[in-house]
Amino acid sequence: MSDIFSFRGAEGTGWSQPKPAIPPQELLSEVPASLRREKLPKWPRASEPELVRHYTWLSKRNFGIDTGFYPLGSCTMKHNPRLNEKIVQLAGIDRIHPLQPDNQVQGLLAIYFEMQEMLEICSGMDQVTLQPVAGAQGEFTAIRCIQEFHRKNGEVNRNKVIVPDSAHGTNPASASMCGYEIIEIPSGIDGRLDLNALKAAVGEDTAAMMITNPSTLGLFETEIAEAANIVHSAGGQMYYDGANFNAILGKTNPGIMGFDAVHYNLHKTFSQPHGGGGPGSGPIGVKSHLAEFLPTPIAGRREKVDSDPELLDGDYWYFWKDVGDSSIGKVQQWNGNAGAVVRAWGFYRRYGKQLEKMSEHAVLNSNYLRHKIMNPSEDTKSKINAMPTEGANSELVMHEFTLSMTPLKERNGITGKDIAKRLLDYGYMSPTLYFPQIVPECLMLEPTETESKEVLDKFAEDFHAILAEDPELVASAPYSTPVKRVDEVWAARNLVLRHPSRPQE
Amino acid sequence: MVDQLPNLGREKEMLNELGLNSIDDLFSNIPKEVRRKEPLPLPLPQTEEEIWADANRILGANICLDDRPSFLSAGLSRNYVPSMVPMLATRGEFLTSYTPYQPEVSQGMLQAMWEFQTMISELVELPVANVSMYDASTSAAEAITCAVRVHNRKSSQKDTIYISEYVPPHRLSVIKNYTQGAGIEIKFLKHDSNGMLDIQSAEIANGSCAVYVEQPNSFGVLDSGLVKLKSIIGKDTCLIVGVDVVSLGHIQPPGLWGADIVVGEGQPFGIGPTGGGPIYGIFACTEKYLRQMPGRIVGQSWDSDGKLAFTLTLSTREQHIRRHKATSNICSNETLIALMGSIHMALLGPEGLNQLSMRIAANTRILQSQISSINELKLAYPDSPHFREIAVRLSGNASELLEFLDSKGILGGFDLGRWWDNKSDMLLIGVDERTKKSDIELLTKEISEWLVTKDE
Repeated sequence: MSDIFSFRGAEGTGWSQPKPAIPPQELLSEVPASLRREKLPKWPRASEPELVRHYTWLSKRNFGIDTGFYPLGSCTMKHNPRLNEKIVQLAGIDRIHPLQPDNQVQGLLAIYFEMQEMLEICSGMDQVTLQPVAGAQGEFTAIRCIQEFHRKNGEVNRNKVIVPDSAHGTNPASASMCGYEIIEIPSGIDGRLDLNALKAAVGEDTAAMMITNPSTLGLFETEIAEAANIVHSAGGQMYYDGANFNAILGKTNPGIMGFDAVHYNLHKTFSQPHGGGGPGSGPIGVKSHLAEFLPTPIAGRREKVDSDPELLDGDYWYFWKDVGDSSIGKVQQWNGNAGAVVRAWGFYRRYGKQLEKMSEHAVLNSNYLRHKIMNPSEDTKSKINAMPTEGANSELVMHEFTLSMTPLKERNGITGKDIAKRLLDYGYMSPTLYFPQIVPECLMLEPTETESKEVLDKFAEDFHAILAEDPELVASAPYSTPVKRVDEVWAARNLVLRHPSRPQE
Repeated sequence: MVDQLPNLGREKEMLNELGLNSIDDLFSNIPKEVRRKEPLPLPLPQTEEEIWADANRILGANICLDDRPSFLSAGLSRNYVPSMVPMLATRGEFLTSYTPYQPEVSQGMLQAMWEFQTMISELVELPVANVSMYDASTSAAEAITCAVRVHNRKSSQKDTIYISEYVPPHRLSVIKNYTQGAGIEIKFLKHDSNGMLDIQSAEIANGSCAVYVEQPNSFGVLDSGLVKLKSIIGKDTCLIVGVDVVSLGHIQPPGLWGADIVVGEGQPFGIGPTGGGPIYGIFACTEKYLRQMPGRIVGQSWDSDGKLAFTLTLSTREQHIRRHKATSNICSNETLIALMGSIHMALLGPEGLNQLSMRIAANTRILQSQISSINELKLAYPDSPHFREIAVRLSGNASELLEFLDSKGILGGFDLGRWWDNKSDMLLIGVDERTKKSDIELLTKEISEWLVTKDE
């Protein structure tokens, strides 16, 4: 193994660039002595060929969708079309400043407007903003809008937000950051929302309910309209976590279900690449009564008049529109992750009105994979140590599903984590592990629409092979990965969070 | 679309195995009353060729910073990003991976981020750094909530923090959104006529939870008085400093003059301004704040064979474990852009960083002397050292001057009246490493021209 700090070129080399227009000595004499840096940071001294090789080597020790099947539930790891990477390299997005006047960014504004409108149509909301830069920030932004809505109505005692126990961790964390107390309600025995528990939880102190639909168990909440009624009757607002939007596009939408606010993950549903953990983009949409509280600005347009310069063909002039005095202001310094919005635009344009095909194939693949895993041939079945049980008691699931490894654990001590690690040896990314927490020994799988039938068949076959393997072998997996099982406890106890040596000294 | 769905045309075959007849059967769990009835009113699908043509046509209508002399900076940099940076960072193994929850197959990104943490730590001279925040504003905001969690119990000014009055309003707005839920009260610190923090009056912050200042400030002023700030506010008040990351090539890093947390915009390393995102915020701190800090952190460890390995660590601070008790809601962050930053920093090396900051310092100096030669215009802070930005006061409206310059093909800077109502006669002019002397001369000439002719 080598790290970047083992590159120790001679002092004074480094990236070649033009010389400063004034000699440094002259400039430094004008900097107050107390502000002058005495020692440069101990960064590596490396040439371009060395670094190209270093980062290529690192990339080969990393697993992406491009490497293989990535069934990480709730993360919607679908293929990222390469056209979109080419588009964001265009100077018309890469070399644009968010404070440029409207007449210089008509193209970017047009794409923002088109995306706002498209997301409004897909979600049944009245106004969308593209400013939040991640799903969690979208949640936070929407809850802030709901908070200001209640304050404006004089309902300052609404200080509680309700979340189901199957919710993503970001839901309670986002509401808590806004100052809300969290009421967690248990799911029913079928894994779905328990309306009685909800009825018991709502009251005059309810600010909002946050819920994703389909749930993290991959189940559609069939009583969602009634849940919305219950929350609305108590004076609360309904918030839709759009993490699972890939399941329902074109089939239903949060507006029809009775929601007041929603976030979208452009990095999930609209294929902005996940980039090892980000960037994301988490636009939100709201019904009209919440629109005045949205962060500012949003993209607006009007019909062109004769005096408008001819910059972009078409009938409209685009502009940054101030949301007004009730706006919560800013959640990101500029106008959101414009580069992610442009990538998502490139993705959306491929599907257009057929976006629902995307959800159809996501749900088809999910049900197909679940069926294949749960129904091995008789011959295969006879070799398997124990079959997992389904995490949800349902004939059909949506875009993802859960499995409980409890039968294996009881039979021979094999945990969900062991299976997850063994899958790495077979060339797959692990499913989401131990989430939702209400399914014991949980594996959560989301194949997405961009996997072929052959990949799903092979995965099911390999999954069964693992279930038939010697438990001792499985328990120590993986074997063929760049490193073997990593000691996470040692990392947390010793906290070596940076390179310890100082190579230039 | 057809090129994106491998199972298109094979639906029947797959449905048959499931014992279903139609795609519609898959959605039978969605009750009729919430089913969408009409198809989506959206345009027809396009081919890659058509989308590429549209992208070029639409984005081609934008005016790029490189198309003309540009002096708009205001927190972002019109930088030069070495070709290698996007090419290597967007290798599919990096680009299409997600958060490295499975360290055994994510060593590449984990190690790259551990190296990033080290380079940021070195840059600002603080021992700990995370793998990025969304941008400079959310870094500052979450630094404040982190500091309050650490200091509130013992502080004599509970739930109170102090911020430089010159923190720009859009960043302040983000800070307000992030701090209001915790009931944090924001008070302001004054600056003197040289643009420097009024260091004597900063004593009022002593005993509060945190102080947030920026170096340079939003008018580009480098404030030598800040090095005394920590001793004035005391050890129980967290000093948070926002930096211009490139300036640290020759300006003393705040970690060496008492800063407890350093934040800033990482964008100059790694990526173009990109319309304001994706960019990334840096976040570094002393060990005292480690367990309350937001964001992901990579630690070194070993695998079962005793081989060096890396893994995410201290996850018990995070939302997926701690839920509503988490230190932050951040999940997706800006890792890929931090990777770009890391490659850029490694390519620069220590001396390359120094040269980069000196190039900007030189261009700032040239701008300062050229602009101050215009009689009808005043530098806002003529006696203070500057980096990257200079604020000037005009005998007219900055917005009108900018329109005039636009008509001459110059992007002249930023109208400070858009940030502060009482500063509509002030223009913020920014340079970068690529600013040409001839561009500065042209700007000076056109501003002079406007000042002479504007009232005619």
